[in-house]
Amino acid sequence: MKKPRTEITNERAKFLLSAYRHNGADAQDPIFRDALEQASRDPDLADWFANQRSFDALLCEKLKSLQPPASLKPAILSGIYSGASKHRFPFGRFLGLAAVLFLSGILLIVMRPGGDRDRRLFSEYQNAAFAVLSEGPKLDFLTSDLSRSQEYLSQRAVPQAPEIPVALHGLPTIGCRAIDWNGKTISLTCFQLPSGQLLHLFVVDAKSFGEISREGGIHEVNGWHVKFRRENGMLLMFISKAPMSELTRYI
Amino acid sequence: MTRDLDLEAIVGRFYAPLYRFAWSLTKSEAEAADLTQQTFLILAQRSHQIRDVSKVKCWLFTTLRREFLRTVRVHINHPSMEFQPDIHDSPVLSEDAVRVLDAKTVIEALGAVEPTYRTAIELFYLSELSYKEIAKTLDIPIGTVMSRLSRGKEQLKAILAGAIAENGRKIIPMNRDEEAAN
Repeated sequence: MKKPRTEITNERAKFLLSAYRHNGADAQDPIFRDALEQASRDPDLADWFANQRSFDALLCEKLKSLQPPASLKPAILSGIYSGASKHRFPFGRFLGLAAVLFLSGILLIVMRPGGDRDRRLFSEYQNAAFAVLSEGPKLDFLTSDLSRSQEYLSQRAVPQAPEIPVALHGLPTIGCRAIDWNGKTISLTCFQLPSGQLLHLFVVDAKSFGEISREGGIHEVNGWHVKFRRENGMLLMFISKAPMSELTRYI
Repeated sequence: MTRDLDLEAIVGRFYAPLYRFAWSLTKSEAEAADLTQQTFLILAQRSHQIRDVSKVKCWLFTTLRREFLRTVRVHINHPSMEFQPDIHDSPVLSEDAVRVLDAKTVIEALGAVEPTYRTAIELFYLSELSYKEIAKTLDIPIGTVMSRLSRGKEQLKAILAGAIAENGRKIIPMNRDEEAAN
């Protein structure tokens, strides 16, 4: 049975139709039924409604021209998957730990000799860094802008790279965080490489590990690529799963 | 947790409207990108709490707005304010006049609407949310959304008419802190 028609004032109809979307998505919503019927009967209201929809359509069209930066979507996806990895792969933590132990052993071999205590501490530092990555970096501050990451870390007086390699300046970041470890403060900044892979940069005061030298090329261990660099008293450790050919363009 | 939600599909579908909404809130491309990214990260971390996938859209806009308001409350920020004159009648705007405006001018005009009405019409235009979705996102009754859309659109038209009449004068948004305080 057809529901009896309800008369409403034009003012009431305008009030309701202000919430009606221009694309007709609300056409079946009963809340608009009486107002739409009124508009079909009353030419003045019909004119007002046509103008309103046209105005709304124009505004929506204009606003859609505001496009997000091209780097935003891949940055979001990288951030999600790096941040959510511990939930998606419950075995990752254990596999990560195994990889960490293996990687640490290899790294100790390639390092030049230094004090036993410093070497042990350095090994623990690497273990901590790889554990952070195996769980997902859990960044404190998300931004695609390197300068904003640097600003965030500066505000927290966290060690930073005195000089970021020039090639990295053109890359979007995922974000950064400050890490307290064993009484030391470490910074972590994550970059997004064009391949979509992440490049992680850990920075710590080099004095933390005495005189052990950690310079050298990129080491490949169990799928991870690692490179150390010492600059103005800071120890930079780059870690990534990106292909060597890509990494050599940036670090 | 991600078994129930196709995060990649959700990002693809909603990141652009979320970014636009964030842009209207922050007035900064970099901050809008950060806010959008942060919102999806929260989704990834809490997606196991979302039982009804159809509610993801509202959840995203609600979360983005909450994150923005949290940031506004944290930062001590008191930008200069310029209130628009009282608006009594909805002016007639020609389509041609509106057509020549660029998107950023329209965003500025949206930002100059009174805070009470602003977010509802931003969600209406930038995200094309229905009045029901706006009510859920802002956690307010449907009647209040209707009222805010009706009044907000009148104000927006008046502001745009003013901008057109004064040939692109600068529109200074009202203080976002007012909204944060609500």
